[in-house]
Amino acid sequence: MSPETAGIAGIAILLLLFLLRMPVAFAMAFAGLLGFAYLGGLESALTLLAQDIFETFSSYPLSVIPLFILMGSFAFASGISQRLYKTSYTWVGQMRGGLTLATVLACAGFAAICGSTAATAATMGRIALPEMKKYGYDDVLATGTVAAAGTLGILIPPSTVLIVYGILTEESIGKLFVAGILPGAILSLFFVVTVILLCMRKPDIGPPGPATTWKEKMRAITGIIEAILLFILTIGGLFLGWFSPTQAGAIGASGALLIGVIRGRLKLKIAIEAAKDGLRTACMVLFIITGATIFGHFMAISNIPFVLADWVGNLPLPPMAVMGVMIFIYFIGGFFMDSMALIVVTIPIFFPIVLKLGLDPIWFGVMIVLVGEMGVITPPVGVNVFVIKGIAPDIPLHHIFRGILPFLVALIVLTILLMIFPSVATFLPGLVRY
Amino acid sequence: MTGLEKFEKFNHKISMGIEWVGLAALLLMMVITTLDVLGTKLFLVPVFGALDIMMIAQLVAMTFAAGATLIVGLHVTVEFFVPLLPERLQDLVDCIIYLLGLILFVLIVWRLCLYSYDLQVQGEVSSTASIPFYPFAYGATLACIPVCLIYACYFFKSLLKVFKR
Repeated sequence: MSPETAGIAGIAILLLLFLLRMPVAFAMAFAGLLGFAYLGGLESALTLLAQDIFETFSSYPLSVIPLFILMGSFAFASGISQRLYKTSYTWVGQMRGGLTLATVLACAGFAAICGSTAATAATMGRIALPEMKKYGYDDVLATGTVAAAGTLGILIPPSTVLIVYGILTEESIGKLFVAGILPGAILSLFFVVTVILLCMRKPDIGPPGPATTWKEKMRAITGIIEAILLFILTIGGLFLGWFSPTQAGAIGASGALLIGVIRGRLKLKIAIEAAKDGLRTACMVLFIITGATIFGHFMAISNIPFVLADWVGNLPLPPMAVMGVMIFIYFIGGFFMDSMALIVVTIPIFFPIVLKLGLDPIWFGVMIVLVGEMGVITPPVGVNVFVIKGIAPDIPLHHIFRGILPFLVALIVLTILLMIFPSVATFLPGLVRY
Repeated sequence: MTGLEKFEKFNHKISMGIEWVGLAALLLMMVITTLDVLGTKLFLVPVFGALDIMMIAQLVAMTFAAGATLIVGLHVTVEFFVPLLPERLQDLVDCIIYLLGLILFVLIVWRLCLYSYDLQVQGEVSSTASIPFYPFAYGATLACIPVCLIYACYFFKSLLKVFKR
């Protein structure tokens, strides 16, 4: 069997293991080990297995992942999300559909200190859904909004998926973070517009909440100061070159812990549980990266990425058409796989194509994360949808999926916008120092 | 309580117990880096060997949490195909996947042990603080053993299920 044929057989085994419900991380490690053993010999494959595990787990650049995840866990347990929601609610709650608008804004704010979609959706779902139920909001609108707005967590920095992309492609994590800011802000705006349009069409789905005075509004601003401070400290520090990504993550985690302690929310037991949550999530992500590293080594000796890159590079198609095809593959793949796993699996194959075509890797990163966001809210493995279903078990799954559709349109519009105007993502990174 | 249930309880206790070591290592990563940043920016005195400590702490944190992460079911899986199969076939698929997981982790433990021995023999140390790597590599090897036990337990449980149906 030629290396290329072995590579294709390895990909087929990987997909089979995925289908049979083997954890993505272990499936990649197993398929990579088998493939490498076939092409490079069993002894080299087993040596590589131990070496990859040791080197990935003790890699300093990767330490940015556990630290930013820990920051999100502490921020979640510190009640920052509740105060963000309360502030947004005080400002826009009295408008038609105001509670859903508040949810979108609070999700955008929480996404700025937490890099996970599921955590953002779970946090806001627990706070916002009971409020919306109380004021008679339509279930479809309420659940769809929380699930969709939760996706902002992986686009607005810090984003766990962008960190992993940056590590796999050796792109600057600082630049990737900054690249996500403008598309994240525009997407938040699109979600706000979506809610307003939905409520204009059917006013009874989002009745206005009680009015608040200007005094209450001004007082409520104090609720977002800590989130703003944390964002400025971490992402601002990265932007200005004060910190490396790992240092920004550590400062952010310490800051979130400090806020929780000062606010009296993070008692010892809660802090330990939050840290354990963060540890387990980080462990899962690092195992995925280790699996991808092993599989990536197999792909490299199979020559598949290079043959594919050459083939695609010589196709009589403009780079944007090839990009369109790759985006379509991510869109379809997102239906079946978690966005991070999908990116980790496909990067060793697609990234050489991106470089060959001369596409901007930072822009490509933002694009695939954006498309990955769609996978988080589409069936059959829309993680956020299941998170919301867990919080509101009485609401049928198809109601939540129906609620997501208008927001999916907003996501698709932004994807097209970014395809036409890549500078939306690449303008700010041009200014970043790190 | 059956033998398998006792085995599962034992695995749970071991994995959750050693997770505390991982937790301490993770918090150490946060504290060391924060002190290093503050020390460097405010007093121009960085923490000696902060980078080395970070690398080792991360190795410890991730491997010692591996068992607990598997037990709580945090690993990402593709869930759309197997649930469509008849229950008996689902159990059979689980059985195969748990066996593959067991084989993978037995290989990991074996080869990590040899790798640790190589690090010991070659006297590999970290670049700044000259901390020897091998004790931590042996630690990581030991921390992967509970994952083998968990997979063994899951395998036997699913095997029993297949035969009971």
